[in-house]
Amino acid sequence: MPTALRERPKPFLLPEFCKGCGRCIDACAKDCIGPGREIDPRTGLVPVTLNLEACNGCGLCFDACPEPYGLRPQPEGDFELQDPEKLFGERAAPPRPAPIPPRAIPLPPVAPLVLKGNYAAAIGALLAGCRHVFGYPITPSTEGAELMAKLLPKLDGIFLQAVSEVATVNMMYGCGGAGLPCMTFTSSPGFSLMLEGISYMIGAEVPGVFVNVMRGGPGLGNIAPEQADVKLVCRGLGHGNTQAIVLAPSTPQEMLDLTRLAFELSFRYRNPVVVVADGYLGQMTGKVVLPATMMEPGLPDWAVFGDGAHRGNLINSIYLDEKDLENHNARLNEKYRRMEAEERSDAFSCSDATTLVVAFGTPARMAKGAVEALRREGVRVGLFRPLTLWPFPIAALKSFLPNAKRILVVEASNGQLEDELRLALSKAGVAPPLIESVRHAGGILPQAAEIAAAIRASQEVLA
Amino acid sequence: MSVFYEKFERHAGGEGLKSHATHYCPGCGHGLVHKYLAEAIEELGIQDRTVAISPVGCSVFLYYYLDVGNSQAAHGRAPAVALGHKYANPDSIVISYQGDGDLASIGLAEIVSAAQLGTPITVIFVNNAIYGMTGGQMAPTTLIGQKSATSPEGRTALMGQPMKMAELIAGLDGPVYVERVALFDAKQRMKAKKAVLKAVRLQVENRGLAFVEVLAECPTHLGMTPEETEAWVKEKMLPVFPLGVKKDVVPEPWFHREKPRFDAESLVAAIGATAERPPRFATGFPAHLGGTDIALKLAGAGGDGAQTAAMLLTRAAIHEGYDATHIPSYGPESRGGTSYADVHVSADEVLSPASPHPAILVAFNAPSLAKFAPDVPAGGTILYDSSVVKDPPPFRAGVRVFGVPFTEIAVDLGKAMVKNIVALGALQAATKLFPEETLRTAIRLALKDKCALIPLNEEAFSWGMRAVTPAPN
Repeated sequence: MPTALRERPKPFLLPEFCKGCGRCIDACAKDCIGPGREIDPRTGLVPVTLNLEACNGCGLCFDACPEPYGLRPQPEGDFELQDPEKLFGERAAPPRPAPIPPRAIPLPPVAPLVLKGNYAAAIGALLAGCRHVFGYPITPSTEGAELMAKLLPKLDGIFLQAVSEVATVNMMYGCGGAGLPCMTFTSSPGFSLMLEGISYMIGAEVPGVFVNVMRGGPGLGNIAPEQADVKLVCRGLGHGNTQAIVLAPSTPQEMLDLTRLAFELSFRYRNPVVVVADGYLGQMTGKVVLPATMMEPGLPDWAVFGDGAHRGNLINSIYLDEKDLENHNARLNEKYRRMEAEERSDAFSCSDATTLVVAFGTPARMAKGAVEALRREGVRVGLFRPLTLWPFPIAALKSFLPNAKRILVVEASNGQLEDELRLALSKAGVAPPLIESVRHAGGILPQAAEIAAAIRASQEVLA
Repeated sequence: MSVFYEKFERHAGGEGLKSHATHYCPGCGHGLVHKYLAEAIEELGIQDRTVAISPVGCSVFLYYYLDVGNSQAAHGRAPAVALGHKYANPDSIVISYQGDGDLASIGLAEIVSAAQLGTPITVIFVNNAIYGMTGGQMAPTTLIGQKSATSPEGRTALMGQPMKMAELIAGLDGPVYVERVALFDAKQRMKAKKAVLKAVRLQVENRGLAFVEVLAECPTHLGMTPEETEAWVKEKMLPVFPLGVKKDVVPEPWFHREKPRFDAESLVAAIGATAERPPRFATGFPAHLGGTDIALKLAGAGGDGAQTAAMLLTRAAIHEGYDATHIPSYGPESRGGTSYADVHVSADEVLSPASPHPAILVAFNAPSLAKFAPDVPAGGTILYDSSVVKDPPPFRAGVRVFGVPFTEIAVDLGKAMVKNIVALGALQAATKLFPEETLRTAIRLALKDKCALIPLNEEAFSWGMRAVTPAPN
């Protein structure tokens, strides 16, 4: 039996929740609702008036009222006797999810692999538990996406090719916001496009890993190796107060190890992590040894996963109130300070070096060849290699400065690494020794012979 | 109405009236659409599974109201964020809620590509023909003649025609259901409510992406009363944005994804790792080639196989327990351009992976030979394809040079593409870089999935070895 019309609930309205738009007036066929005449002092608006004598409970007014707590069915019983706290219905307490930690799974021992840098980074991500990869093809990073497209279906993961880098980073915002590890491979122009989304990820504290296989710029530049995104990754991750850990591998093995580490750091700090390689390193094949374990990701308590436990969560970077936004920035700053504990570096023959070569990526590898050759000649030179460009490993560098009379910065950019070095020295209150440079742009990498010559020249001056 | 928060804690801290009132102006259409969405979520019993993506625009604060998982997206990017959520948890029900500036202007690429992808998400598009939050500027859906803050004399054709999103989206293959509805009277509201319910249900049933465009009122920026705005939508918007179902091709449920796998066996198998180490044949580093680090360069045109040969050398060296690197360098062309490979083999660790002065050069054509032969230092070795280099340049004194007809031998064997293996055989005979079996094993391992090709390649290697006779220097 259908409910007789007269038994249907009639509307009721708390006038302070009526904005007086009047949509309900037209909706009522019985003319029960009329325009109000008095301003409600609580809202400054004019609520409608109800005269329900003719009301047949058709309910059309409910569907006409845009306010969730505007016109609503009359509750059972006499609502005036109800506890006002219960007026809008009783609810369960918001769910409080427990974080599910990631789990390490032992890997069987396997023979060393022979891998391109881009492939090694992809496998590092798989070992870190990443099964969601979003991307847009761009040389010289494409092998990473290609390998993921091939392997992920075998692991019931997904590689989704997005319409652009802009869409890519926002898919990462969604997937990372759901609490799962995800990543992309890109190169300089594509990374530029992702900056908007990276700022949102940092603001909303969403993890995600970006492997930026840098190429020559500015503009379309070329597809040859360059290191000219240092400024971008260390000082310019989109608008606002942004910072992210920047890892700088220089061998295929480190492409795997540091990409894997990037996921761990990304979740530890709820922040994106950038891995910067250069076109050479992405394309370079070398020996890669797998670690002893792989990870199965957990699920953080803050995730918007789309299940009951996490229903109360919000991923968001809006703080309308100035004070709230200042507090949010203070929390981020505090987090950035904690990230400084992640300073990492590699020192090769640095302890007694009078000349310190500072370099990262493939140029660091070239420099290592030069340093080793000169060491055989008795030259006191060492290679200091930041593995984190941000935070710059200044504490480790400082320990070598008492002997160092000179720093030679070797880089495939216009001095962007040197800027980071100088800034770190300045902030640490260290008077820098003489700083010289070997720089190339356009896709030309400093070569071992050139670096050796520059070290020799500086040694002669020192002598 | 349990899908709305009991108290809007996020709305100004849930203080006072804001705890139960929206931030929308009187007469705004958003509140109604929120309500229909909340009712659909309740009716389908999916509150726990739902993730709502708030856009940028007046509905940016959707997350104040809906008691579901909430994520707030950058301007225009809600469909991309929605896809990220959907793939992270295919059981979640993801609602991408957008206004006209968000969806039909700055986010066109995201919505069109998401719609064509067709992954089941629900898109609710609220079109009120004006920019609300920024203060009444022209929207992509602003009507011709309609005045706005950035079309003060009325929109003209020079500012572009209004964007008809429902028709555009319905023209794509991806979506299963597209409808345009309105809110200006009880009948339209009933249809709107049904359309929203259907659009969410199609996702719940894993049938596909649904798109509902809602023509909504913005009395504030149209400068009219709510009632006048309803009439304006009916009289002015409907002729440009006709209501109705634009597409409805409800398929069988098709969207299903297995849970990602995290077992070590699957991963090791997927990346092709194996516990089996290739046999070693070398008894020591090939010091006779000078030092503990050997630089090689293989150079030719794209398609010559220089990179494959370089990769085989690298693998062979690593099999023998040395460190090795390979860096390719290509011209911009996919085929037929230059293709150079730098290889290093080192007893310990390769320090500088580039080969500006290679101890061994393999040149597959005349330009490569002319370009790189002068870089080979005394004591070095050059091998070149004498089938194509008929007039070799003069070589540096003290460099051993071998002209070997890589191509002719390969063609005689029936496949020109094995010329790189002929070259490796020649390199083997000329340099004794590794024991012979080292490279042969590397070749066999590389072809383990194409076993039929192994005999041909073995033969090519043998003929390459036999072809080496020291050339006059």
